[in-house]
Amino acid sequence: MNRKIRKILIANRGEIAVRVMRACRDLGITSVAVFSDCDHTAYHVRMADEAYHIGPSPSTESYLVHDKIIEVAKKSKADAIHPGYGFLAENADFAQRCVDEGIIFIGPTPRTIRLLGDKLQARATALKAGLPVTPGGEFDAGDTEEAAKLAGKIGYPVLVKAAAGGGGKGMRVVTEPDSLPAALETASREAASAFGDGRVYIEKYLTRPRHIEFQILCDEHGNCIHLFERECSIQRRHQKVIEESPSPVMTPELRKEMGAAAVNIAKASGYVGAGTVEFLVDEDLSYYFLEVNTRLQVEHPVTEMVTGLDLVREQIAIAEGNKLSFGQDEVSQNGHAIECRIYAEDPEAGFMPSTGILKNYRMPAGPGVRVDSGVVIFNEIPIYYDPMIAKLIIWGANRTEAIHRTRRALEEYRISGVKTTIGFHRVIMDNKKFIAGDISTKFLNEEYPDNNYTLLDDNLCERAAVAAALQTFTKERQIAVQPVNSKQKSQWVTIHRKANLRTFTGSR
Amino acid sequence: MRRYNITVGDKEFDITVTYKSEKYHVTCNGKKMEAVAHFLGESRALLLIDGESHEVDVRSNGYGTSKIVFMKGMELPVTVEDYNLAQLRKTAGMTSESSIDKVLKAAMPGMVLDIKVQPGDTVRKGEPLLVLEAMKMENIIKSPGNAAVKAVHIQKGQSVEKGDSLLEFE
Repeated sequence: MNRKIRKILIANRGEIAVRVMRACRDLGITSVAVFSDCDHTAYHVRMADEAYHIGPSPSTESYLVHDKIIEVAKKSKADAIHPGYGFLAENADFAQRCVDEGIIFIGPTPRTIRLLGDKLQARATALKAGLPVTPGGEFDAGDTEEAAKLAGKIGYPVLVKAAAGGGGKGMRVVTEPDSLPAALETASREAASAFGDGRVYIEKYLTRPRHIEFQILCDEHGNCIHLFERECSIQRRHQKVIEESPSPVMTPELRKEMGAAAVNIAKASGYVGAGTVEFLVDEDLSYYFLEVNTRLQVEHPVTEMVTGLDLVREQIAIAEGNKLSFGQDEVSQNGHAIECRIYAEDPEAGFMPSTGILKNYRMPAGPGVRVDSGVVIFNEIPIYYDPMIAKLIIWGANRTEAIHRTRRALEEYRISGVKTTIGFHRVIMDNKKFIAGDISTKFLNEEYPDNNYTLLDDNLCERAAVAAALQTFTKERQIAVQPVNSKQKSQWVTIHRKANLRTFTGSR
Repeated sequence: MRRYNITVGDKEFDITVTYKSEKYHVTCNGKKMEAVAHFLGESRALLLIDGESHEVDVRSNGYGTSKIVFMKGMELPVTVEDYNLAQLRKTAGMTSESSIDKVLKAAMPGMVLDIKVQPGDTVRKGEPLLVLEAMKMENIIKSPGNAAVKAVHIQKGQSVEKGDSLLEFE
């Protein structure tokens, strides 16, 4: 069963490509990057051992084209393909293509991806495995009358969802019976155009749920464990923006129960690899199965920070056919981790993407700080892809320390050239409800309706005004606008030259 | 000595600056402070304001008096005007936002989902002008300042490229 992986093609870009390449380096595996027209100078290309151009900037003509990825894999003699997240990560056809071409796909089997990617089938699998699901229909709600009966039984508000859904598309909240037929129709139409599959179903709509998910790891020998939870309730438009582990509401009993549930559905679906089982948790801590993500998640580093594991390394080991090298009893949670997704977006303009060149870029550092960055200075944030710049991941001995450290790291970050969500995260870290752990998926809507983030405190405004005055004054008066060290020559230059001289003359 | 009228967001500052014996002497809304500045090129600077250390990046925001100050991980919109000119402007009843670009251009390619204004409308700063779908998201394009709409160059449902002219102000 054991297959040695020596070279991995990473079918992705940005921070996740860089993240996977780092694991490859750690393991002595050669990494192969692919890139589109606008990514010639991208960080993931610089980080890779080899890099191949695969076409125009739009992802439909490059990162999503199966043929091009497979062609590069063959040309570069890669043993395996790591899909990262997004793009081809949950594409069963692509996973099947890899199998057919004799290339290892680092992820679950095409059959598992297909089964869990269909929400109705995933729900049925969860029910069979004994997981609680939100009250609702395990059936296609195309029949309006049947749907109305069911909605009446489970009680309004209900949620109409697309079987093939994702990212909030084909989803409708219905608060009263009269608007149900129209919601079913529009959701079905939206789903048909977005996913080519118009099947919709109904489930109970929880008004203030938390989003809590469990990381799972399964090998092909039937061993399956969970690596505890991540709380991802801070969301904007169904997109997670801040994630943490452990969850502030988790109890040891609930953790054990939900962890076991996650392992059960993984086993029931024949899961192999790293994955995530998502749950909604109601205010009374009753929990409901939501879906399984058959990929490495964006927020996987918070789990790495509290467990000390490298999930990409585990993915590779599993793909090589190895047994998990540890059991459920050998993993534990240590401290608290928080992740902030730093986007090139303008929080004050409704989070509009802000594209441009990073004129200054310096990442925070120091104890407990990890930055998974997809860019370096002078890189451009292209308009073609998700505008995420980096993930800031913080570890602290406890939640309070982690929040304090997150504030510190956010203030240390220096980015100019594009607008970013750093200020937004800074505001959340000061929010009393967030600090108290009193959060739900409605947190941002409730706390900041109309995106009214008060980002500018008086003292900062005053300092900014003084800074602008000094810069203008200096420009006008032409005082000393020159680099700091131009007057006196740096001593380091001299020291370095002397050191080199010694090396050459062999006196060392 | 120079005197400036500076706004940061909706806050206004009256600032005078003099430079004497390698130090900047600043009065900000009547508060005196001393500053040392080291400029790293045109825009970046290391400041010590009354001993408080700040690394800042002051960039011009494309037009007129508008600048962006990057500091403490934040970006602050700032306008810098000569104090006397600002007084004149205020007496004349003009707002500093009248210095906005006459043509609003698309910051990214996308599709026009909705247009909220028509020629002849007067809009205030921050008022929604149109909705542009780009990067799979609906983006509300807001007015950069107080202005009157002169012309609308696009239609609902139309695709636009980056840099295309969307509408014109008086």
